Amino acid sequence: MNLQRPGAIAEYIRGSAVWKSIVRHGPPDTNRNRALIVFENLFLHVHPVKVRERTLKFSHTYWLGGVTLVATAVLFVSGILLMFYYHPSVPLAYRDMKELAFVVDNGLFLRNLHRWGAHLMVIAAFLHMLRVFYHRAYRPPRQFNWVVGVVLMSLTLGLSYTGYLLPWDQLAYWGVSVGTNMVREAPFLGEKIRFLLLGGNVVSANALLRFYVLHCVVLPVALILFVSVHVWRIRKDGGVQGPYRPDEETGEES
Amino acid sequence: MRPVPPMELVESSDPIATPKRVALVIPDTRPSVRRVQERWVMTFPHLIIRELLLFQVVLIALSIAALLFDAPLEGIANPLETPNPAKAPWYFLGLQELLHYFPPIVAGVVLPGLTVVALAVIPYAKINLTAGPLWRGAGRRTPIAIAGGAFLLVLLFGLFSCWPIVVPTVLVAGGMFAARGGENGGRFRRAVARVSLPEWIMTWFVVIATTLTLIGTFFRGPGWSFVWPLSGAPLG
Amino acid sequence: MPDVIDPAALADENENEETSRRNFLGKIGVGACAAAMAGSVVLTLDYLNPKVLFEPASRFTAGSAGDYGEGTVRFHKEQKTFVIGGPAGIWALSAVCTHLGCITRHLSDEGVIACPCHGSRFDLEGNVIHGPAPRPLPWLEIQTDAAGNLMVDTSVVVPKGKVFRA
Repeated sequence: MNLQRPGAIAEYIRGSAVWKSIVRHGPPDTNRNRALIVFENLFLHVHPVKVRERTLKFSHTYWLGGVTLVATAVLFVSGILLMFYYHPSVPLAYRDMKELAFVVDNGLFLRNLHRWGAHLMVIAAFLHMLRVFYHRAYRPPRQFNWVVGVVLMSLTLGLSYTGYLLPWDQLAYWGVSVGTNMVREAPFLGEKIRFLLLGGNVVSANALLRFYVLHCVVLPVALILFVSVHVWRIRKDGGVQGPYRPDEETGEES
Repeated sequence: MRPVPPMELVESSDPIATPKRVALVIPDTRPSVRRVQERWVMTFPHLIIRELLLFQVVLIALSIAALLFDAPLEGIANPLETPNPAKAPWYFLGLQELLHYFPPIVAGVVLPGLTVVALAVIPYAKINLTAGPLWRGAGRRTPIAIAGGAFLLVLLFGLFSCWPIVVPTVLVAGGMFAARGGENGGRFRRAVARVSLPEWIMTWFVVIATTLTLIGTFFRGPGWSFVWPLSGAPLG
Repeated sequence: MPDVIDPAALADENENEETSRRNFLGKIGVGACAAAMAGSVVLTLDYLNPKVLFEPASRFTAGSAGDYGEGTVRFHKEQKTFVIGGPAGIWALSAVCTHLGCITRHLSDEGVIACPCHGSRFDLEGNVIHGPAPRPLPWLEIQTDAAGNLMVDTSVVVPKGKVFRA
C-alpha cells in the first residue's frame, strides 16, 4: 500500500473482504453505484433511484414536509434523552424538571430543544398543510394521502397536548384541566372518554401516568406508522407535487 | 386515418389454429412535440444532499433557539388553586377564545369537529378540483352569492358578539370583491385575481384561526377580560 | 320401471353439501375470530377503566352548626366546597365552576363567588349572575354525625334551596 498516493487507505478499506461483505456497491462514481446506494439501503430505498429535477427546488414545496420530519426526529432524540431523568409521578415529575434545569449537564438545553422543537413541528405541519392546499397537491391520485395528513396533524396536536401535562406545573395542570373539561361536553361519550383519559374524575397522578404513556409510546408509534404510509404514498403517487399548473398539456403535473 | 382491414368470419373454436382478431390498436403516430421535457437526476447525491442540508439547518436553528430561550416552568401544580388567567397551550388558545362567545359544546366539540371533517373531505369535493379564478366566468349571481354568504356569517356570528370572526369575514369578503377586474393590474393585483373560491375560503379560515389565537395569547388577562398586551396585566 | 339414479346428479348433490359444510365451518371460524377480537376490546377497555381511585374522600366534617352563624362563608380547600350560613340555615355549595371546572373564589367585599378562568360570577346561593357558566353551582348534602358535627358529602347533590336546619 503506497501511502503517498491519496485515497490509498480508502481504496484498501474498500477492497477488503470485511467491507465488501457489508457494502455491496462501489464508490458513487458511476450512475449504477449511485443508484445502488439508494436501492440497496433499507432506510434510503423509500426514495426512487432518480427524481425529477424540478422537485428539488426550494420553491417547489419549501421543504416544509422535510422540516416537520426533521423536527420530529429532534423531538424523538431529545425526548428519549429526557426520559432518562424524568419520573412520571407526583411530585417527582416537577422535581425532575427542576433537576433537568439546574443539575443535569445540558438538561436545560435538551428540555428547551424539546419544547421549541415541538412548537416548530406544529407550525411546520400547519404550514405544510397550507402549502399542499394552495398548490392543490391533494388532487387525484393523492386524495387519500391528504386524509392521512389530516390524521397526522391530529396526532401532532395530541402529542403536543399530552406532553404539555408532563412538567406538572400550574400551567400544565390547569391547561389540561380546562381541556379535559371541554371533552366532557361531548354528547353521550364525553364523560366516559374523560374518565378513561384521566384514569379518574380529576387530573391526578393517574392522569399524569396515562398522558406519559400516550405521549411516549402510543402516539409516537401511531405517528411513525402514519408517516410511513404518508411517505410511501408520495413515492407511489409519483413524487412530491408542486405548484398547480393547469395550462400544461401533459398528464403529469409534478 | 388508414383504412381498417376487413375482418373475416371464421367458424372454429380452436384459438391456435385460427386466431381471431379481438381488437386492432393503431398507435398515435401524429407528429407532435412533448411540451415538457422532464429532467431526471440521480437521487444520490442530489436529493440526499438537500435532505442532509435541511437536517443540519433545522437542527442548528433549533439549537440556537434552545440556547437563547428557556422553556417556561411555573410553580408546582396545585389542584386547589386556579391561576388567573388559566390558559391552554398556544395552539388551543384560539379554541379557548371561542369559548368566550359560545357554549362549551359548540366551541369545544362542534366547531373543532366540523373543522377536522371539513379538512378531511377537501380532496373529495368537486369544487376543489375544478375551481378556477373566482371571477372568471362569473355570472350575475356570483356577487350576490358572496355578499349573501358573508352577510349570513356576519349575522350568525354577530348574534354571539363574536367580533374576531365577524371582522375577518367582512375583510375577506371585501378582498374577494376587490379582486374583481384585477387581471389588468400589476403583479399583485393579478395574483389576487387568480385566487379561486376554495382558496378564499381557506384564507378566511386561516385569518380567523390566527386572529383568535393572537387575541387569546396577547389580549386576554385575569378572568379572561380584554387587556392591552403592554399594559402590564398578567397574560397567564 | 325402477327409478334410475343418475350418479352424476348424486355427485352434484354431494358436492353442494360439501361446499356448504365447508362454508358453514368457515363461517364459524370467522365468527370465532370476530368474537375473540370483540372480547379483547372489551377486556382492554375494562382494564383501562379504574375501579379504585385515590382521590380525596367525598365525605368530610365541616365543624359544627354553631360555627355557621348568619353571613358566614367558609371555604374548604381540599374538598373544594363552600359551607355557608344564611338566615334559613346552612348549605354547602360546590366551589367547582360549572363552566370548565376551575376553582372559584369567594369575594367577601362583593358578596359573590367568582371564577378566575372566564369571569363567571355566582351569588351565595349558587345562581349564575354573570359570565359563561351554564348552570348554577350545585348544592351538596349536609348531615350530622353521631357527635353532632356537620358532615358534607360532595358526591350527593341536593335540590337548590334545601337548607340544613341545625
